[in-house]
Amino acid sequence: MHYQTESWGSYMPTRSANVGDPLERIERLASENAVVIFSMSTCCMCHAIKRLFCGMGVNPTVHELDEDPRGKDMERALMRLLGNSSAVPVVFIGGKLVGAMDRVMASHINGSLVPLLKEAGALWL
Amino acid sequence: MAFGFCNVLPFSSFLDENENGLRWSCMASHRVGPVGETGLSDSGPSNPHVPYSVFHGSNVPTSFINQEGSAFDFRELEEAIVLQGVKIRNDEAKAPLFTGRPAATLEMFPSWPMRFQTTPRVGSSKSGGESTDSGSAVNTFSSKAEVQLESESPISNKASSSDHQAFDHQKHLQLQQQQIQQEMANDRSRAGPSQNQSDVKAPQEKRKGSGGSSSTSEKQLDAKTLRRLAQNREAARKSRLRKKAYVQQLESSRMKLTHIEQDLQRARAQGLFLGGCGGAGGNLSSGAAIFDMEYARWLEDDHRLMAELRTGLHAHLSDGDLRLIVEGYISHYDEIFRLKGVAAKSDVFHVITGLWMTPAERCFLWIGGFRPSDLIKMLIGQLEPLTEQQLVGIYRLQQSTQQAEEALSQGQEQLQQSLIETIAAAGPVIDGMQQMVVALGKLSNLEGFVRQADNLRQQTLHQLRHVLTIRQAARCFLVIGEYYGRLRALSSLWASRPRESLMSEDHNSCQTTATDHLQIVHQSAHNHFSTF
Repeated sequence: MHYQTESWGSYMPTRSANVGDPLERIERLASENAVVIFSMSTCCMCHAIKRLFCGMGVNPTVHELDEDPRGKDMERALMRLLGNSSAVPVVFIGGKLVGAMDRVMASHINGSLVPLLKEAGALWL
Repeated sequence: MAFGFCNVLPFSSFLDENENGLRWSCMASHRVGPVGETGLSDSGPSNPHVPYSVFHGSNVPTSFINQEGSAFDFRELEEAIVLQGVKIRNDEAKAPLFTGRPAATLEMFPSWPMRFQTTPRVGSSKSGGESTDSGSAVNTFSSKAEVQLESESPISNKASSSDHQAFDHQKHLQLQQQQIQQEMANDRSRAGPSQNQSDVKAPQEKRKGSGGSSSTSEKQLDAKTLRRLAQNREAARKSRLRKKAYVQQLESSRMKLTHIEQDLQRARAQGLFLGGCGGAGGNLSSGAAIFDMEYARWLEDDHRLMAELRTGLHAHLSDGDLRLIVEGYISHYDEIFRLKGVAAKSDVFHVITGLWMTPAERCFLWIGGFRPSDLIKMLIGQLEPLTEQQLVGIYRLQQSTQQAEEALSQGQEQLQQSLIETIAAAGPVIDGMQQMVVALGKLSNLEGFVRQADNLRQQTLHQLRHVLTIRQAARCFLVIGEYYGRLRALSSLWASRPRESLMSEDHNSCQTTATDHLQIVHQSAHNHFSTF
């Protein structure tokens, strides 16, 4: 995701990490691990997506937005990013956005998910 | 020509002119109280659609439409007009000449087809400033009548609209009404000049001939009696007709009732009445009803498309042509998933509990539809021969669908668990309401699960298309269609299978053995599957 970083880059260095653009934070968090899921502890679809990755033998990093002080902002940012009515669950693989549940499942069925996971080093076979 | 008349014509002495005249006079004597008398009550046959016009008295609005009939005795009209005039003069005190019957018209002359039924309001708008001729006449007769009268008179006044001889007649009527107004009592000079209905032969002739009728009162008496008799006849006829119609209605209702009872019996036997479950009682929401209809239509399309696939395969079409058919079939499935999405928005329970499916299909229900991995399992044996790569693709598809299903199932389980906790935790009233609100919020997640499950089904079908060659794909979809067709047929067979509980109490007839059952089922199955 390149579109936002440059515009914010001008004043980024002067601010502390805590007062950052939510989208940037998302980006940053997403690139920290191979498989990153933004979720909410009460959301059952998020539970489903977690079970999907676990069932495949992947160990995703999950950020529960309802347990994060800046979760609200991030939730809004994700909604804008996806254009969805619901922000979660959202999956990043290898720092790149894959999408919400429907995109993840579609990519799994059409066989593109596993190569992506392997490429990111989340899956070995 | 057809003629109808909507006025009280107290003349029935000319009954015997012809059948029509007779009819007319029957009508005439219908309700109209003779001038100056209380007359007959208007309890006679009342065709509710017959407009009435009341020119006199409050109790005898009579208008009768005699749509058939050709010749017409104008003398009677003339007399009627005269009597009308007399009556009006006598009853000038009575302002409302209307008894409020609908669509009153001033049609005193039953020789032209009455259009007041269809044009009542059409003309009224035009009638506003136009009824110059009839205005005075109309106004004089009744304030209420005006409203309806205008529907007729202006039409007649407008030469442009007289594409109908009725209008001409009406115009003539207007003028004659005027004259009644002006020349009361014994004025016999029907205004000739205003007559422009050249096509009315009889009336004119008759009119001229009747110019010399003298003893009005005499005729009036006879007329009254005759009219009364005719009215009675008419009343009797109408009531016979009504009775007949009512009996017919009863008969058809009875038939319908027996049908419904049979359906009920059959449905009960099928065990559909499980404690008043949703769809059985016919308590479908509108979204559900709409979806059921759309699904029925989809099934018809399915038959048609499968036939196309079948013929396409047998005809050994080129791959390009076959591809079109296959793509069409996939779009067909895309369509039902789209419809299910719409239906889930309005009635998620209807979709997710599979009420729109046949019972046998419902056995295999998974989040509002078929289980994709079941489909793959069913297909695996039927798609041979497959290349190595294709086999791998199919097995991968089977694995991924199973994993996705597992994930969605677990998500749904978590939803259910959370719902249980929410509903069970309802405490005192206020908290209870809050809990219900929370529960409602959680229920709304069901739609998302249906959406994702359908998404999974759709992706599975698309992936099948990609793994297989076009020919294999055509065969594959044909197999899928036939499979679900058999499942649906199984539901019907199951419902109609002979069971001892439905047999008569006679023990002899209950002695059907298991083999008998099988034979019967086999026979009907044979009939069902003859197409496969």
